[in-house]
Amino acid sequence: MGEISNNSSSAGIDLSQFYQVFFEEAGENLESMEQMLLELNVDAADDEEMNAIFRCAHSVKGGAATFGFSDVAALTHQMETLLDKLRRHELNPTSAMVDVLLAAGDALKAQLAVHQGSASSAPDTSELLGRIRAMAEGQSPAPAARAAAPVAAPVVTSPTLKSMPIPKAETRAIELVVGPLEKPETADALSELFAEIEDLGTIEPLDGGRAADGMRRFRVVTTTSDSELLDLFTFHVARELIQMRSTDPGFGFFHENAGAPPEENPVDPGYGFFEPLTDASAAEAAPASIAADAGDNAAAAPTAIAATPKAPAARAIEKSVAAPDQATLRVSIEKVDQLINLVGELVITQAMLAQNSREGQLNQQLLAGLTDLERNTRDLQEAVMSIRMIPMSMVFNRFPRMLRDLAAKLDKKVELVTQGEATELDKSLVEKITDPLTHLVRNSCDHGIELPADRLAKGKPEHGTITLVASHQGGSIVIEVRDDGRGLSRQKLLSKARERGIDAPDSLTDQEVYALIFAPGFSTADQVTDVSGRGVGMDVVKKNITSLGGTVEIDSAEGYGMSVKVRLPLTLAIMDGMSIGVGDECYILPLASVVESFQVAPGMIKTIGGSGRVVEVRDEFMPVIDLERVFEVPRFDFEHVSNIMVVVEAEGARVALLVDELLGQQQVVVKNLEANYRKVQDVSGATIMGDGRVALILDTGSLVRRSRH
Amino acid sequence: MHTILAVDDSPSMRQMVSFTLKNAGFNVVEAVDGQDAFEKSTQRDYNLVLTDQNMPRMDGISLTKKLRENPKFKQTPILILTTESSDQMKMAGRAAGATGWLVKPFDPAKLIEVIGKVVR
Repeated sequence: MGEISNNSSSAGIDLSQFYQVFFEEAGENLESMEQMLLELNVDAADDEEMNAIFRCAHSVKGGAATFGFSDVAALTHQMETLLDKLRRHELNPTSAMVDVLLAAGDALKAQLAVHQGSASSAPDTSELLGRIRAMAEGQSPAPAARAAAPVAAPVVTSPTLKSMPIPKAETRAIELVVGPLEKPETADALSELFAEIEDLGTIEPLDGGRAADGMRRFRVVTTTSDSELLDLFTFHVARELIQMRSTDPGFGFFHENAGAPPEENPVDPGYGFFEPLTDASAAEAAPASIAADAGDNAAAAPTAIAATPKAPAARAIEKSVAAPDQATLRVSIEKVDQLINLVGELVITQAMLAQNSREGQLNQQLLAGLTDLERNTRDLQEAVMSIRMIPMSMVFNRFPRMLRDLAAKLDKKVELVTQGEATELDKSLVEKITDPLTHLVRNSCDHGIELPADRLAKGKPEHGTITLVASHQGGSIVIEVRDDGRGLSRQKLLSKARERGIDAPDSLTDQEVYALIFAPGFSTADQVTDVSGRGVGMDVVKKNITSLGGTVEIDSAEGYGMSVKVRLPLTLAIMDGMSIGVGDECYILPLASVVESFQVAPGMIKTIGGSGRVVEVRDEFMPVIDLERVFEVPRFDFEHVSNIMVVVEAEGARVALLVDELLGQQQVVVKNLEANYRKVQDVSGATIMGDGRVALILDTGSLVRRSRH
Repeated sequence: MHTILAVDDSPSMRQMVSFTLKNAGFNVVEAVDGQDAFEKSTQRDYNLVLTDQNMPRMDGISLTKKLRENPKFKQTPILILTTESSDQMKMAGRAAGATGWLVKPFDPAKLIEVIGKVVR
C-alpha cells in the first residue's frame, strides 16, 4: 500500500534507446497482422489465427504505450478491443471488419513513420477509431467510406521521454486517498477546492463518506498534474497523508500485505500480490477486492470487463503455433557489407597468390596449401553472400494486399497464386525489383484480367488468376508474372506502334511484337487508368531490370493471358565478366551483355556522314565505339589498329566495341566507384584483378546511349 | 546478486525490462516466451520471475502453473506483466499461483519499486 503515482521518474532510463527495436518489431507485427488478415476466412475464422492477429495488435499496443507513442497506442487499443471480441467469439468477423483493420494497419504504419522521422504527418485517425469502436460494440459499420484520409493533422511528434505514457495534458482519473485523519471532515476541504477553482476538474467521494479507518477516498477527474494538485491539497492536509494514484496505476499484488483488509481497499493500485500459498484466509478476501475494483475500472479502462461474474479462470489461455524466431540474429546491413567487402579482398589476395604460384617453382606443400585456400575462400565467399540473401516472399507478401485493394477498385475478381516464395535473392536486388514487379502485377490486374462478366462471356472462370513464380535457373533467378486475362493482341500492338511512329513491319516475330510494349511512351490501354497509366510505363520497368543486369521476356496468347519473365543475377556484388584489353589497360564487360566477338577485316567498318562509324554484321549495321578514344588510353605504338570487335547489347540496342584483345572470362567482385572515388562516365564500377591491377567495369547501357548521339 | 528471469515475446519490451533490471543491479536471464522460460527455469536458480502474459507457445499464466509444479519454484516470486487487470486475469493469476501483477505500460522506476517489495 501507499503508492504515490508519481510518474515523472523513469529510474534514469532513457527510453529512446529502445525506439529502434520497437519500430522494427512493430513493423514486423503490422506486416504479419496484415498478412493474416488477408488470409483470414471470415466465414470460418480459425481460433489460432484470431489469437495470432490479436497478439500482433496487442504487442504493438504494449510497446507503443510503454515508449510513449500515444497515438499508436490509442489506435491499437481500439483494434485490440475489436480483435479481443472476435477471438472470444463475442462477435463474428466480417469482411468490413477486415477492411477497417487493414486501414488501421496502414494508419499505424503512417504514425510510426512520423515517429521515426521519415514522414511529416500522419492521417487523422478519429474517424477510423470511431468505426472500429462501433464495430466492437456490435454496430454495423458507418456507411462513411474511407474518407479522404490523408488530412495532415498535427500528430504528437516524438514523445517526451521522461514522461509516462499517460499524457499529462489529458483528462485522467485518479484515486485520491487521504488519511488517516483525526477528523475525516478535513478532507471535505479538498472537495471544496474543486468547487472553487474552475477547470480543476471533478471530485466525488468513493466510499460514501464511510471513514471507519480515518481514511477518505475520492475519485478525481482532472487535467492538472499531480504535483500541482499536491500543492493545492497541502493547504488543507499534510502531504504525508495524501496518496494519489491513477485509477489504474499499473501494478498490484494479490495478497495485500498491509494491514487493511482487502474489502476496504476498493481501488486497484495497478499491481498486486496473490496471497501466499499457505494463507487460506485471503482466498475469500481477494475475490471481493477483485469484484469491487473491476467495477471501478470500467470507467477508466474500456477493455475492463464489466462486473459480470464469471467462473474463476474462465479465461481461455491462448496458444499459438507461431514459434518465435529464436534462431535469427538482427545485424545491421553495414556489418554484412563490410564482411562482404573483406571477403572480396580475400578473394583477390587468393587469386593473386594463385596466379603467382603458377609462375614460379613452389614446393609441393605450399601448392597444396594454396589449393585448400582457394576452396576455402570460395566456400567462405558463398557463405558470406548467402547472409544477404532473403526469400522472395519478402516481395511477394505485399501483393495480396495490393491486389485486394486494386481488384475492389476495378470491380474485378482476382486470385493471386504464388510459387517459389522461398527462392532467395540478394537483399539489394529484392529492394530494386519490388517496384518493377509491382508495376507488372498492377498491369496484369488492370489491363490483363477482364471484368467478371466479360470473363464469363468468354467461358472463363469469373475469378482471374495472377500467378507469381520465382525459381533459380543456373546463376540467375527467374521471376514470372502470369495472368489468364486477355493477353496481348499482335494486331493491336502493331497498329499502336505505327500510330506512335515506331517502325513495325508485319514481318516481326511475335516476340518482337510483344517487345514493342517496352518502347518508350507505348501504352496499349485505350484509356489511362489511375492504376497503371501513371507515367511509369513498361519502358521504365524494362530499363530498371536491365540496369540490374537482368532481362525481360514476354509471352502471350491472345485471349488466354500473358506471361512476363524477369531474369536477374542472384547478386550485384559478384558479376560474371569478360576482361578485354585496350592498350595497357584492362576493362571488364558484364558477360550478360556480351553478344558476340569477332575479328574485323579492313573495310568492314564504314564511315557514315555525320553519325560516325558503323560495322555491318550479318546485314545489320551497328555503331562502332572505339574504347581507346572513349577512355583516352595512351598508346605509343601509333601504327596500331585495334581489330577485335565485341558486340554488346543494352537497353534494346547493340553496339560494337573496338578492343585490342580478349583476355578471358572470370567472376569479379564489384566495387562501387562512386563510394570510393566519384562517378565516372561509362563506368559502372571497378574490380581488382588477380594480378592486383584495378580494372574498370564498363556501363554498357551508357555506351549504348552514347552511340545514339 | 539476485537473478531475475525476464520473459517477454516483444524484443523491445524485453530489452527495456532487461536494461532497467541490470541498471538496478540485478542479474537478468531473458526468455522469449513461456516455453523458453520453462526450459531455462531448470538451468539455474532465480530470485524472481517476471513474465509477460500474452505470448505465443506458452503464456504467462501457464508458465506460472508449470513453474509452481516444480518444488524449486514453490517460493520464488512470480510477477505477471499484463496490459489488463480484469478480474478474470487476476483470478487466473491467483489460481495459477502467481505472486502479483504489474500493469503495462509501466515506468521503469515503478518496476524496480514493485520488485523491491518481493525481492529483498
